[in-house]
Amino acid sequence: MRNLVTAALTAALLAGSASAALSVERGGVLHYGRYADSLFLDPVLNDANVDIWILSNLYDTLILPTDDGKGLEPGLATEWTVADDGLSVDLTLRKGAMFSDGSPITVDDVIWSLKRAANPDNGIWNFLLGSVEDVVAKGDDGITIKLKHTDPAILPALTVFNTAIMPKKQFEAAEGDTDAEKAKAFAEHPVGSGPFVLKSWQRGSTMTLVKNEHYWDKGEDGKPLPYLDGIEFDLLPDDATRILKLQSGEIDGAELIPYARVEELKNAEGIDMELFPSTRVANVIMNVRPQVDGKDNPLSNEKVRQGMNYAANKQAIIQIVTHGVGTPMSSYMSSATPLHTGEGAVYPYDLEKAKALMKEAGYEDGFSTSILILAGSQDEIGSATALQQMWAQIGIKLELQQVDNATRTQKYRDGEFTMRAGAWTDDIADPNEITSYYVYSPNIDAVHSGWKSEKADALFEASQKEVDQKKRAEQYAEIQKIYNATGPIIPLYETPYPVALRDKVHGFLQIPLGNNVFRAAWMDKQ
Amino acid sequence: MTAISPAAQPRRRRIRVARLPLTFVLGGLILGISLILAVFPSIFAPYDPIAMDYNAILAPPSLSHFFGTDSFGRDVFARVIHAYTVDMQIAIFATTGPLIVGVIVGALVGYAGGLTETLFGRVVDAVISFPFLVLVIAIVAVLGPGLTNMYIAVGVIDWVFYGRLVAGEVKVQKRLDYADAGRAMGYTPARIIFRHLLPNAITPAIVYWMTDMALAILLGSSLGYLGLGAQPPAAEWGVQIADGKNFMSTAWWISVFPGVAIVVTGLGFSLFGDGLAELLRTKR
Amino acid sequence: MALLSFIARRLLQLIPTLAFILVVIFVLVRLLPGDPASAILGDRARDADVVRINAELGLDQPLPVQFLVFVKNIATGDFGNSIHLKVSVASLIADRLPVTLMLTIMAALIALVLSVPLAFVAATRRGRLADNAIRGSFQVGLSMPVFYVGLILLTVFGAQLHWFPVGGFGNGFFDQLYHLFLPALTLALSLAAILMRNLRAAIIGVVDAEYVDFARAKGLRSRVIMTRHVLRNALISTINLFGLQVGTLLGGAVITETVFAIPGAGRLMIESIYGRDYPVVQGLTLALAVVVSLTFLLTDILQAWLDPRVAQ
Repeated sequence: MRNLVTAALTAALLAGSASAALSVERGGVLHYGRYADSLFLDPVLNDANVDIWILSNLYDTLILPTDDGKGLEPGLATEWTVADDGLSVDLTLRKGAMFSDGSPITVDDVIWSLKRAANPDNGIWNFLLGSVEDVVAKGDDGITIKLKHTDPAILPALTVFNTAIMPKKQFEAAEGDTDAEKAKAFAEHPVGSGPFVLKSWQRGSTMTLVKNEHYWDKGEDGKPLPYLDGIEFDLLPDDATRILKLQSGEIDGAELIPYARVEELKNAEGIDMELFPSTRVANVIMNVRPQVDGKDNPLSNEKVRQGMNYAANKQAIIQIVTHGVGTPMSSYMSSATPLHTGEGAVYPYDLEKAKALMKEAGYEDGFSTSILILAGSQDEIGSATALQQMWAQIGIKLELQQVDNATRTQKYRDGEFTMRAGAWTDDIADPNEITSYYVYSPNIDAVHSGWKSEKADALFEASQKEVDQKKRAEQYAEIQKIYNATGPIIPLYETPYPVALRDKVHGFLQIPLGNNVFRAAWMDKQ
Repeated sequence: MTAISPAAQPRRRRIRVARLPLTFVLGGLILGISLILAVFPSIFAPYDPIAMDYNAILAPPSLSHFFGTDSFGRDVFARVIHAYTVDMQIAIFATTGPLIVGVIVGALVGYAGGLTETLFGRVVDAVISFPFLVLVIAIVAVLGPGLTNMYIAVGVIDWVFYGRLVAGEVKVQKRLDYADAGRAMGYTPARIIFRHLLPNAITPAIVYWMTDMALAILLGSSLGYLGLGAQPPAAEWGVQIADGKNFMSTAWWISVFPGVAIVVTGLGFSLFGDGLAELLRTKR
Repeated sequence: MALLSFIARRLLQLIPTLAFILVVIFVLVRLLPGDPASAILGDRARDADVVRINAELGLDQPLPVQFLVFVKNIATGDFGNSIHLKVSVASLIADRLPVTLMLTIMAALIALVLSVPLAFVAATRRGRLADNAIRGSFQVGLSMPVFYVGLILLTVFGAQLHWFPVGGFGNGFFDQLYHLFLPALTLALSLAAILMRNLRAAIIGVVDAEYVDFARAKGLRSRVIMTRHVLRNALISTINLFGLQVGTLLGGAVITETVFAIPGAGRLMIESIYGRDYPVVQGLTLALAVVVSLTFLLTDILQAWLDPRVAQ
């Protein structure tokens, strides 16, 4: 009976923390400026952060992530139990929960939603439910998820957007023959389980959500959430325009404020400059294959990589690129990721050590190399320009190559690169996602670097089934030690999510996984 | 042009000697100075344009940094001066090829008329309506990013502007008396086109050329976003202005000084162009 | 009748032009490195997913087969669906292209209103203060990057004075016109500068030419000369340039659309290119080609009307 969390306990915690808050006010439509439009709002078939980060407002999951993104709290399931053998999970569904059209959320809907999410033919997120063997009903108000093998990340997986609950009947009634076609038709007039429901969408311009009148959760005033009548997402792709619109009072919040303007907005009147903790990391990924383009590759030498790491003055990069908003990385994963270990910068700036390592490796005179950066990305251009200067001191001539995202992806998938700028944000409150991409070589060759450690691979495989939290933590500590010492990356910095809000906005939250949470947001009446 | 017989030539105007030199000389002076800066930037720039000073990030203009420093602590004055090299190159290399090709094709098309003209018209349609960005990204993908490839991308599109301008003018000139006179005298079409018609028809193209050079510099800034223009850390005005976008309210000097450089250089081109147009008009 | 047959001929010529553009764009977008799946997935693109998604999209077929399918669909009026947005390309274009058309027409009108009278003033006061002032200020307008001009206009007239909204598109025709004024002005500044310079030079050229002297000799009043002869003749080359510039504006107002947050075709195009959304790029290219070709047709007709010698 491990991992038992009762609704009562959480409710008590919630009530405790809420007493300090201001008394909420209801109503109003919050206008929120986004940098890019969503593409396709299907929990299972979407591909990108622009969808993921707002999906939780439209569809609830069985379990919700806590505000710090690391813990679990009840969602459409009120309690859950992992069996002693770790091979099944029982969940009790919330009584009386309804979809936005007023129809009840049934065991059928839940089973169907989870099976659709776990189906390997559907979308790109099914790997998060790779351990699921079957989902069956347990009585008339519960389900049992049967697992192929023990899975320590199964509960966090049930907080991820792709396991959100959708109405089976309404979905299947949508036009189309295949799941993809039905999803397309359903998305035109979706019926949701989240605090809001999509009302209208002018692509490339505005998206309007209105409150779900049938939402299950209650606010501080005892009445149903959400407090807001609705949200209007205004698409404002230019950073400066987004900020101007916020300053003029035409919108109430704006995401992705450029780091260069955080300080200015902190001092601006009437604006709350929020820096929400995140799992976002920025790095440089190297191709460590012995040969690239038929030539010997100095980056295949561990000592060269270490030397380059020591020569990269991360503190200076944090100042130049993030204007002090970022913090140095102490591991390849963000410090907000569960089971992260490490303190201080992985390779503190040490030019002498860097020179010594380059000499040891036989590259005392340096070499010429290049880095692929995303065309027009001020952050990546900034980091690469700074690295160019820093590495010149150990004799490395770095050429910057700006290409568009698809070109860059193709190049590194083909192994035709020497270095590239990279970034990552977790989608699940577990270290397994980033580790499977960055470390575990069978997945994508350790972010296509060609790096491989059999020991790290074995540790990862073991950790994927290890249900003893302490043992799993030890495994991850070991993986991080190996990777940070010999891995193919230059960790640069981690940054929070910079969101600017009018000071009348309260209760908005962006969790470390990126989800924009509006369910408890409210605004002062003017 | 003394070979032209009086009959084949429009009536001569009085040459406006008094007005002519001013625009021409002033424009020429600006461009001359710009060229000197472009060829010898290091003599005038007090700092290395790519050297960073982490202790002087975003420093306002002062005696040690006339134009202040940017977000990397690089001297903006040195970068504006060094950018002359890149931007004058862009202005000249990106437009001269299209000018030559466009003028020749335009003159031939305008003279030939008929099917040739119709075909050319459809080529123009196709080129103008073809998405420039697809072309740009394709060229970068094949040849890699850099200025030369920017010239190629611009050139593929830009020549039709000159072509269409010149074709239209030549067509009008062709119907004037002097062209008929030339034909009557048995001159070859080439001679009629390039010695008689073109000098009269080229003025709009020359005027546009000067505008086009200023536009090319601006295009450089747009393409800087796409990574096709000057590659960092090289200094280029458009890229500098884009760099300064996030600092318009806190560090105006990053974008204003390169902006002034663009305006002054553009003014030089346009003054020079006006002067040149006047010369062509009066001296023919 | 001559005009009608001219128009009919040009419309017929449109067909091979469009066919040519279609073939080129079809091949070129597929030659770009990367594919729709890896464009959108980035690091998260796993081989199995990429292969599966490409197969779903029919991109695993040989190029000629893909082209045949594409042509067959086009023939039935089906431009396919956007790969990333999952909606039909036709509806996307119907949403986005009119926005860009509105923006371009407004910009063109503003540019004409600014440039024609002032070019006239500048040309007739050649070399004097008014001429220099007009040319100087247009030069500044021409030399400033659009995003810079746009941000300044937004800051002053939007955020500070509140005369205009800070970007966005609005609802309803008049609200949209209101939203589009500042971006149209931004686009118009450089267009007006180009037109003004050209028109001024053309007016000077015409004034200097013989037939004005001839008209004067005939005793026509100078105002009549100016409107009937000079402006008419000077406009011929300017209209030519106008057509070309408006043509490029239609496909190339990307930065203005981005700064002012306008859901136009330019932004859709660049997003689709970056996302390797082949059907959208193809459909939009075709639609833009039609609009641009029609614009040229219109300027040609105007030109023929102004100068009967040009028409055949």
